[in-house]
Amino acid sequence: MSVEAKETVMGNKNEFEPLIVAFCCNWCSYAGADLAGTSRLSYPANVKIIRVPCSCRVNANFVLRAFQRGADGVVIAGCHPGDCHYSTGNYYTRRRFSLLTNFLEYVGIEQERFKVDWISAAEGNKFATVMNDVLEKVHRLGPNRKLRDARWKR
Amino acid sequence: MQRIGVFVCWCGTNIAGTVNIEKVIAAAGEMPGVVYAKDYQYMCSAVGQNLVKNTIKEQKLDRVVIASCSPRMHEATFRKTAKVAGLNPYLVEVANIREHCSWIHKNKEEATKKAIALTRAAVAKVALNTALIAGEIGVESRALVIGGGIAGIQTALDIAEAGYEVDIIEKSPSIGGKMAQIDKTFPTLDCSACILTPKMVDVSTHPNINIYTYSELENVKGYVGNFEVTMNQRARSVNMEKCIGCGICTDKCPSKKAKSEFEEGLRNRSAIYTPFPQAIPNVPVIDREACIKFKTGKCGLCETVCPAGAIEFSQEDTKITKKYGAIVVAIGYDIIALDKFGEYAYTNHQDVITSLEFERLTNAAGPTGGKLVRPSDHKKPKKVVFVQCVGSRDKTERGKTYCSKICCMYTAKHAMLIRDKYPDIETYVFYIDVRTPGKNFDEFHRRAVEEYGVNYIKGMVGKIFPDGEKLQVHGVDALTGDTIKIDADMVVLAAATKAKEDAEDLGRKLSISTDTNNFFTEAHPKLKPVETHCAGIYLAGACQGPKDIPETVAQASGAAAKAIGLLSKDKLVNNPCISEVDEKICSGCLACTKICPYDAITSKVITFNDHGKITKRVVAQVNKALCQGCGGCTVACRPGAIDIKGFTNKQILAEVDALCR
Amino acid sequence: MEKIGLKVRARAKEALENREVDEVMGWKKGEFWYDVYPVFITEANEADDLIWDAFCVNNLSKYLIQKQKENKKVGVFLKGCDSLGFNQLLKDNRIDRDQVVIYGLPCVGMVDPEKVKKEGLNKGLLEIKRSKDEITFVTKEGEKKILGRQFDYDKCLACRYPNPVVYDELLDTEIAREVSEMDRFKDVEAIEKMSITERFEYWSNQFSKCIRCNACRNICPACSCEKCVFDNVNAGVSSKASVDSEEQFFHITRAYHVAGRCVDCGECTRVCPAGIPLDQLNHKIMKDINELYGKYDAGVDVSQDAPLVTYKLDDADSFTEHGKGGK
Repeated sequence: MSVEAKETVMGNKNEFEPLIVAFCCNWCSYAGADLAGTSRLSYPANVKIIRVPCSCRVNANFVLRAFQRGADGVVIAGCHPGDCHYSTGNYYTRRRFSLLTNFLEYVGIEQERFKVDWISAAEGNKFATVMNDVLEKVHRLGPNRKLRDARWKR
Repeated sequence: MQRIGVFVCWCGTNIAGTVNIEKVIAAAGEMPGVVYAKDYQYMCSAVGQNLVKNTIKEQKLDRVVIASCSPRMHEATFRKTAKVAGLNPYLVEVANIREHCSWIHKNKEEATKKAIALTRAAVAKVALNTALIAGEIGVESRALVIGGGIAGIQTALDIAEAGYEVDIIEKSPSIGGKMAQIDKTFPTLDCSACILTPKMVDVSTHPNINIYTYSELENVKGYVGNFEVTMNQRARSVNMEKCIGCGICTDKCPSKKAKSEFEEGLRNRSAIYTPFPQAIPNVPVIDREACIKFKTGKCGLCETVCPAGAIEFSQEDTKITKKYGAIVVAIGYDIIALDKFGEYAYTNHQDVITSLEFERLTNAAGPTGGKLVRPSDHKKPKKVVFVQCVGSRDKTERGKTYCSKICCMYTAKHAMLIRDKYPDIETYVFYIDVRTPGKNFDEFHRRAVEEYGVNYIKGMVGKIFPDGEKLQVHGVDALTGDTIKIDADMVVLAAATKAKEDAEDLGRKLSISTDTNNFFTEAHPKLKPVETHCAGIYLAGACQGPKDIPETVAQASGAAAKAIGLLSKDKLVNNPCISEVDEKICSGCLACTKICPYDAITSKVITFNDHGKITKRVVAQVNKALCQGCGGCTVACRPGAIDIKGFTNKQILAEVDALCR
Repeated sequence: MEKIGLKVRARAKEALENREVDEVMGWKKGEFWYDVYPVFITEANEADDLIWDAFCVNNLSKYLIQKQKENKKVGVFLKGCDSLGFNQLLKDNRIDRDQVVIYGLPCVGMVDPEKVKKEGLNKGLLEIKRSKDEITFVTKEGEKKILGRQFDYDKCLACRYPNPVVYDELLDTEIAREVSEMDRFKDVEAIEKMSITERFEYWSNQFSKCIRCNACRNICPACSCEKCVFDNVNAGVSSKASVDSEEQFFHITRAYHVAGRCVDCGECTRVCPAGIPLDQLNHKIMKDINELYGKYDAGVDVSQDAPLVTYKLDDADSFTEHGKGGK
């Protein structure tokens, strides 16, 4: 094996491959992600989306579990306030996760690792931008060890 | 152990171009519970669906994962496929490896890895899926149309003609809306009243249509097929049954200083008034804020002169509650206030008017009898300047970012009407672009320029200010760069259209969403233009976005067709992915009831046999017909006693775990 | 407090004799000077066992849940902090107001036995008597009086509701004591000033002390679920292994579940055998709620909607750039 090739192997091994779990509401943000696809926009493959009916379906448990299982960042995306498919769901999301955002930071989780945002079905561009932005920040922070369950191998 | 089948779609090269299908198939075969994995070029095609169907039967599959395009695209398709093969449709999950994967990522290795991860999450979820059975609900065969403008009128007529009962609720004292105020219509220049008023009469005489004017929607309960609507009918102070519409009261009324809404404030009206002569119903209403009797207790002249004894000062608002199967929202639009556009001097000069005011000025039934005169001194103008895009296509706070769509055409119409009646009046139009898509629209605009000699100037007006009897209009010709100064006698501003002030509030009552401009959001911008996200509620007209009359009427008929389709059903199938309470775990704190947008959760008392001791406890219960499955309650529930079928806590956690591998 | 103790006994006796209630809940003296435990009495003669002293720190309201299920009418003694917990239980529908008679007890503060021990005053101690802020230490050798609040629980020193906010009868005159809101969240501010790494270290050290005994959960008037989510197998989070990540999960979730519901009685911190400052978690959320959505004190006004089950159209948020999620 040449020196160069060896370096590449080593490099790959050490390369940080972040994992972002994104919870997207079916009506706006998931559709926004679809639109990002239809528009052939690009964001890294590290972002993996879970579909939920509404952002108000996302339990804080899900966020914590994702961090436990090795996610380096978690995103919750829903319709813009006022545009909720279920009319008021995301108003609760806004309160619940405003508190959780602050609280996680209080117990020592970097705020950049947990992002809530409003992305409409027409905002494919915003979807890609938000994901790229989160990924870039998480990249800078490096792998998340906090809250992580050491027994779980990813 | 489950028998899960995984079907991976190539979508031609859409997926297969970036995702190594073979590797996905191989990886899927190794996933827990998967007994069969197969690919095909187009899984949604008849051949693809047959493959799924046959495999379900042959391999005795009890769950299916389709790795393909977005579930928003074909989830329904594959659920049907499963159903035909004898599998409960809710035992199907879709892994979105197209929109969320192959179309996003260029690197084949990465995309393949992600496709495998997404498939693994779908497999993990489907393993926890349970067979769900959709319930059935009845349909109330009556429709409600909110708004009595041309959109509401057309919708109501179409639904009524199909044989269903329709109620129209209109906020103002008469139906007719904006179209009743308009003089002529483009591009044919036929008289607006001549085509609208017969329709108004049709509505009022149709046996299937009830009109509630001077009424507002108060609240809406229920769900598709079974809405329960409460409206508030404001006190008219005139008995609708007794009134014969003779108009003596309005003539004799001594209070004549209120601004006529119908005349855009260009004329005064009496306190007891009928908005316009062709109003339907032709029953006056007392404006209690202007009425002397209501203000001071003295007067009551109308009561004295009324030959029918129809005046009832003691009338009170009445609440009406009725059930409807479908609702069509047709509340129309308004134009923006121009107080923030100081450069156009609208607020401080009478001869700067809006286009809607111009409609009244040029209307034969209007305040001047159709004679074009300046509102300030009633002199005939010599030069009239039209300014387009006042607040439209305006990115600043005071304006609207969108194109109001109708202004180019009506401005051409206005200029043409002036030139037709008074060839000696010069007309100038300042525009950014002239937008005339539509049947015979561009021809219409060309006629204004070529046949009627309307001067079009590409450019915006910078300043308008009074100069003696004249109005100085300063602008720039964007094509030549020259400064243009016109000493006009009158300026007409094409003010931007906007959503009704109460649109957002109404949207909240109806649980339908509004966009950033407060126009109602259609369910799909292309394929569901009249539906809303709330089943059974449809949109017609300019409340969904700026529209001209032909488009409004077309959409109204579309909304009517959708409503008729719904009303013609005996039973509806509802979404089975709804909340469910585990009574053993529920503590009865009822936090869920507080946040439910549909009031679908109530409480009940249950008795428990706790080791021989009978105890009682309050628990939550879900109304299956009301629940829409948002899942907000599941998060409000701390112990996890309420869960949502199809998106259970365990299913979502399983997806999280599967993605974190 | 002794005079009020007489009233406590007399009122309990009367209530049971007249069958105003089926049961009375109060406190009883145990073996040691600091030892007081809750009792439920059904007979008038048992009322003589009831006491009211500087160690009646236990909140009795949570026991009402079980009594309500049995359809019993219960008389209960509640202090200021207890009454907040009572209201929270009422709000959570766990008890029926009509089935409870509350005998309110204004409270000057409870004595922390640990602070007494720290000063070495526990040697030969037989009894501690309290009258306002005067503490009398009774030993075989005689009595010693100390004036001041230096032996009060920390949570009592920060007490904002010395008088019950809900009661049917008040057994003592209301206490007028100035309460300062100034330093209410100084514990939170101190932690907020730490770097993110320091904060994580601080909290992981705290959480790793947790032995998952559930004392915090059992004592808490806001943690009143029939079955806790950590015991609900279907919720999928019932992990209880003694590993850092699960302890972190538990504590974040516990604090989050009492968000907008915690009445700040400080009982969780008091009972934690590992000495985890749980109140610092609760305080953070209270502080944020006050800042984001306006002042809210759980347990004070039952008719007010809790912050997490309501919303305003123009609520601020803490995650978008402009802080306003509106259109």
